[in-house]
Amino acid sequence: MGSGRWSTNIYAAAAAYRARTGADPFDHDHLMRTTRARGTWVAHPTLDPSGVTVREARDSDEHPASLPIAVLFDVTGSMGAVPRALQRKLPQLFGLLQRRGYVEHPQILFGAIGDATCDEVPLQVGQFESDNRMDTQLGNILLEGGGGGQKTESYELAAYFMARHTALDSLTKRGKRGYLFLVGDEMNYPRVYARGSHAPATGWVSAARRGVAEIIGDTLAEDIPIEAIYAEVKRMYDVYFILPGAAFYGGDQQVLGHWRGLLGQNVIELDDLDAVCETIALAVGLGESAIDLDSGLADLADIGSEAGASVGKALATVGANRATVTTSAAPPGLSDPADNSRAIERI
Amino acid sequence: MRHTIVVDLGFGDAGKGTVVDWLASPAAAAVGLADPPVAVVRFNGGAQAGHNVVAPDGRHHTFAQFGSATLHGIPTVLSRYMLVQPIALAAEATGLRRLGVPDPFGLLSVDIDALLTTPYHAAVNRALERSRGNAAHGSCGMGIGETVAYALAHPGDAPCVGDCIDRSLLKRRLEWLRDWADARLAELSPAGVVRRLPTASDLADAYGSFASRVNFSDSAALGRLARSGRLIFEGAQGVLLDESYGFHPHTTWSRTTFANALELLGSTGVDVDDQRQALRIGVSRTYATRHGAGPFVTEDSRLRPLLQEPHNGTDHWQGAFRVGHLDLVGLRYAVDCCGGIDALAMTHLDRAEALAQTNPGELRVAQAWELPEDGGLVPRLPVAPGPHSAHQDGQLTALARQARPVLVEQPTDWAGLLMHELAAPMLVESRGPTWADKSRATRAPLVA
Repeated sequence: MGSGRWSTNIYAAAAAYRARTGADPFDHDHLMRTTRARGTWVAHPTLDPSGVTVREARDSDEHPASLPIAVLFDVTGSMGAVPRALQRKLPQLFGLLQRRGYVEHPQILFGAIGDATCDEVPLQVGQFESDNRMDTQLGNILLEGGGGGQKTESYELAAYFMARHTALDSLTKRGKRGYLFLVGDEMNYPRVYARGSHAPATGWVSAARRGVAEIIGDTLAEDIPIEAIYAEVKRMYDVYFILPGAAFYGGDQQVLGHWRGLLGQNVIELDDLDAVCETIALAVGLGESAIDLDSGLADLADIGSEAGASVGKALATVGANRATVTTSAAPPGLSDPADNSRAIERI
Repeated sequence: MRHTIVVDLGFGDAGKGTVVDWLASPAAAAVGLADPPVAVVRFNGGAQAGHNVVAPDGRHHTFAQFGSATLHGIPTVLSRYMLVQPIALAAEATGLRRLGVPDPFGLLSVDIDALLTTPYHAAVNRALERSRGNAAHGSCGMGIGETVAYALAHPGDAPCVGDCIDRSLLKRRLEWLRDWADARLAELSPAGVVRRLPTASDLADAYGSFASRVNFSDSAALGRLARSGRLIFEGAQGVLLDESYGFHPHTTWSRTTFANALELLGSTGVDVDDQRQALRIGVSRTYATRHGAGPFVTEDSRLRPLLQEPHNGTDHWQGAFRVGHLDLVGLRYAVDCCGGIDALAMTHLDRAEALAQTNPGELRVAQAWELPEDGGLVPRLPVAPGPHSAHQDGQLTALARQARPVLVEQPTDWAGLLMHELAAPMLVESRGPTWADKSRATRAPLVA
């Protein structure tokens, strides 16, 4: 019988669901690795930021109050097995947000971050999707596994793209920021470079740094300091940095300090990758006031890992931080109209 | 919008799949259904369904959870009344992919409130059926009944489709279910039997992958779909196996009448009393069949070698495929239980017509049942007033057990006989497995 009525192999079933077209679960990565020399790898066309005008998170009849949530993760070598684990876990994020009632109309974008100094594909950005089927976007991500040895990756390029190349109805129509989660274990380069440079910028003799002009196609008059680009992207998104304990620089104080300088308390150390969806969902749930920390932590404890405690601690400060933000006036640098309306709404 | 609902007026296997396949084909334009359907909606049962569809190019698939119009590329909605079995669903998708359906999961949406049938339910089902010995109920061994029973006994705790994306909740519910199954198996199985149930964690992983691969649906999504085009509601099993109207205990744990489909359609704003909006189609073969144990008044073992099934054989759990004469008593009863039908579809006309040539007089029709010791004739069975009523005490089953069929010769005009007996127009006649083998009946109503 061709129907499979009697199949009981749960492992085969899981693999069948993960296989997008019956081949490797992560097709594009597999394709690049098996058919091309490393130096010729390219991003999947759906994730290539080059020439992209804007990634849109729009309201629709079906989703009248879209809430954009972007998750971009570092895919360089220092992350070890983390990117592959994320690729496996993150598809559940959409459903989790909906199922737990944290967000009614999430629109989720996935992307990947590399190193513009030595990677072929330093930035990959998908689309905002309002569908529980996240496998396709994630499956197209190339896990290059490159990067240099200098504890910096091109996170600032991702921040630049999200600030300048996304359009959020939630913000323009309803004054509501989206959420941006960066998952990684290293620091930003000091600036968003306008153009590339053939000078060895990082000590790698062969390194040829690329800039916004080469990677995205924008013409910038000058470089943008990371403080400025993060200030800009924070006007559109609540930005979080998640540092997985399993990564090479997990727990690194210099890295943590760097990110706290940029994002304040929105820096989360995550010991257990199994909890990544729950952690992101919980941060959003707290941000949306859809859940209080105690019940959120009870959910986390159910996963049965150590993550509950550390994530709970991190999110406790995140929650406390948010409370002060909502009751204080916007800092001078952030007082554009959209920002004001957002501050009002959050009260 | 003309939605159609396809229900089997017997014990199942009448050919619902092939009728759905036809309704989704270009040939349905002959009865005014020219626009392709936007989806097939499954509204009862679960993975135990076995709806055979053969394409004109020879491809064959036994549809269990996917809708029978999948080979036309029509999406499937598993409604909240479905019992979803993700493990079997994955295997079915693999089979469909081999038949050239490029992305079967992409064609699927599953209601978040649909219950999950798990390997735990199946293990209990099989142990239970084994423990019944000769008094087996005719269960298909997949745990359908256990799924419903567990959900009734543990309201709010039974794992459902939406849980699959919340791993911690799902795992907890699977652990409770596994404990329940373990306890039941300990009661049912002889000492020393080793039970190998998968861990809740492994199962939760598989279900998590399922949840990130198929699209989720809910009543709002179904409403949007119903407004965007026509839907085909594909029933499973048959009215004579209905949980309330069937021959207890040889019944299935679901409503096999139009009831679920009408509820789903009604909630989308369709006027289900208007047959121009919702057409209720009853399907019957030219002879009766039954898979599994239970009363079967018109069963005739002499017919079995004459009417062999290409796709329905003996299986371990349900036993042989049983064959008998067309039973007008059962058909009248089925129509009464449904509260009437709007149209008929008749299948296997080719088999009856061929048999009339090769073995004249063998295939007959039961006009009534006859009770022993001058107990009189039974032309019609009383319909139970509601669920869980008199029929479930086994009276109907006892009656059927002692009844003998009153057989008359097979008609030359099958469609005419059925239309006359069941007071409904004939929509389509089937003389072969593919949609191209079906013809609009000469007296078919145009339903546009």
